[in-house]
Amino acid sequence: MFNIARTEWLKIKKYPAFWWVMGITALTYPGINYMFIGIYNNITEQQSSSGQIVKALIGNPFSFPEAWRTVAYISSLFVFIPAIVIILLITNEYNYKTNRQNIIDGWSRTEFMIGKLIDVLILSAIVTALYAVVALVIGIVNTTNAEADKWKLVYYIGLFSLQTFSQLSIAFMVGLLIRKSFIALAVFAFYFIMVEPISVNLLKYKYKNEIGEFFPLEISHRLLPKPAFIGRINEEAYQASLKAVNAHIFYTLILVLITWAFCFWINNRRDL
Amino acid sequence: MSVLTLQNISKSYGKIQALNNLSFDIPQGCVFGVLGPNGSGKTTLLSIILDVLKADAGNFLWFGSPGSPEQRKKIGSLLETPNFYHYLSAVNNLKITHTISGRGNMAGIDGVLQKVKLFERKDSRFSTYSLGMKQRLAIAAALLGDPQVLVLDEPTNGLDPVGIAEIRELIIELSKKGHTIIMASHLLDEVEKVCTHVAIIKRGQLITTGPVEDVLAAEDTVEISAASLDALATAMNSYGKGSKLVKDGIYLQVSLPKGSASLDDINNYCFNKGIVLNHLVFKKKRLEAKFFELTNN
Repeated sequence: MFNIARTEWLKIKKYPAFWWVMGITALTYPGINYMFIGIYNNITEQQSSSGQIVKALIGNPFSFPEAWRTVAYISSLFVFIPAIVIILLITNEYNYKTNRQNIIDGWSRTEFMIGKLIDVLILSAIVTALYAVVALVIGIVNTTNAEADKWKLVYYIGLFSLQTFSQLSIAFMVGLLIRKSFIALAVFAFYFIMVEPISVNLLKYKYKNEIGEFFPLEISHRLLPKPAFIGRINEEAYQASLKAVNAHIFYTLILVLITWAFCFWINNRRDL
Repeated sequence: MSVLTLQNISKSYGKIQALNNLSFDIPQGCVFGVLGPNGSGKTTLLSIILDVLKADAGNFLWFGSPGSPEQRKKIGSLLETPNFYHYLSAVNNLKITHTISGRGNMAGIDGVLQKVKLFERKDSRFSTYSLGMKQRLAIAAALLGDPQVLVLDEPTNGLDPVGIAEIRELIIELSKKGHTIIMASHLLDEVEKVCTHVAIIKRGQLITTGPVEDVLAAEDTVEISAASLDALATAMNSYGKGSKLVKDGIYLQVSLPKGSASLDDINNYCFNKGIVLNHLVFKKKRLEAKFFELTNN
């Protein structure tokens, strides 16, 4: 296992696209959260009655403990950025035919896939660590109440990591199936940004059908409910989304198992 | 002992039968050439023995055991094209070969790069290499750790004449050291110079296999000439002994069953027919001619 991880590191450590995308991710996650903080500050710092009403109504979603949830929700919308690296790491293997060379040199097909699983796990860990640091810094900076329970919602680190791993695993599967970098990136981005959100909301609001909660990305998307202030608009829906988290942890774990079982199976079956 | 045994290997791509019930052995220590026209199934065969493709039927044994990752680690292979990470240097690509196969070490990496004359460019990215340099790197990867068995698919692809001669010398040198080399090639002249054994396949079927001398010497060929080629041909028509005649420019090629050609006898026969030969040579058949004959090209 260590040798497989070492080989994957040799492949990644001098791959320029990996460091570029990691750099973009490292800038995007704090950047997008600070943008939302800016919007919040602009509204709540107004001396007008509307500004003060908003402040009283939603509180500060960027102070502890709520910062863990708010930052997780906002950051999770940008998982398609690290997904680019995951798709490139698998499609490169097909593009350069190095997947077959790895087998020729002595890996089994299972070992090749374990290497890719390690890539997805490591990238998920990096993204989660980035989220945790951003949430911690934002929470510390924005918390004025000394009695606030800083660690009450820290378990969102676990939920965020599970969601990231699940969604990056789906990105990996798309790359494995399509094999061509740009087509796989386009298909994943189109599905992530357009197809699934539109389908889920169409089913939910037009046809009053909740089947959308079992769509591949939506299953893990519901691990991270919307920030608490949204609940003040529709308290009932907010409470339902909180209650659904435990069930979606289970669904996500099942989905992750199915995704990787399918990836291993297809790689073992097909000619290289 | 056989290094590799093929038993009834078949593979098809849809309706195309790429390999049809192929069986033969590759003895230890030989240089084994797999020959065949384009699309005959050479690369498919090498891909199956390296587990890149799965055979529809049949099996193969490396050193008497079914193929496995552990066995592949001990085999240096170049299949079809040089397959490397474009953004990595030669050294970093060979480090990956090393970590996967366990063959060689850092000193060994420098050694094989020197052997294929890439040492000066060892830190350049693979994407900056010419076709010939990429091929040299693939050969370096196959040589890493001095494996006892090498599988080389068109090893001289993209190389200049000097490079081709170097690879030929390298193969001969490895063969002398007791390595087994299995190579597929279109360059029949090169194969004839280095191979001790061949298998000729056509449209996925084995046409013939065995030591090169046996395959080439399935019949004797004598080349003769006289002042009048037509008179000579007429006289030789009644020579008998299973002879076949083919005119080749100013010469007449006389093919006879293996071991039956006698230059004295032919010379005497012609002289008795009133024809004085001005050219009489026992010709060793070239692999190229044999290949064309067997594959009907």
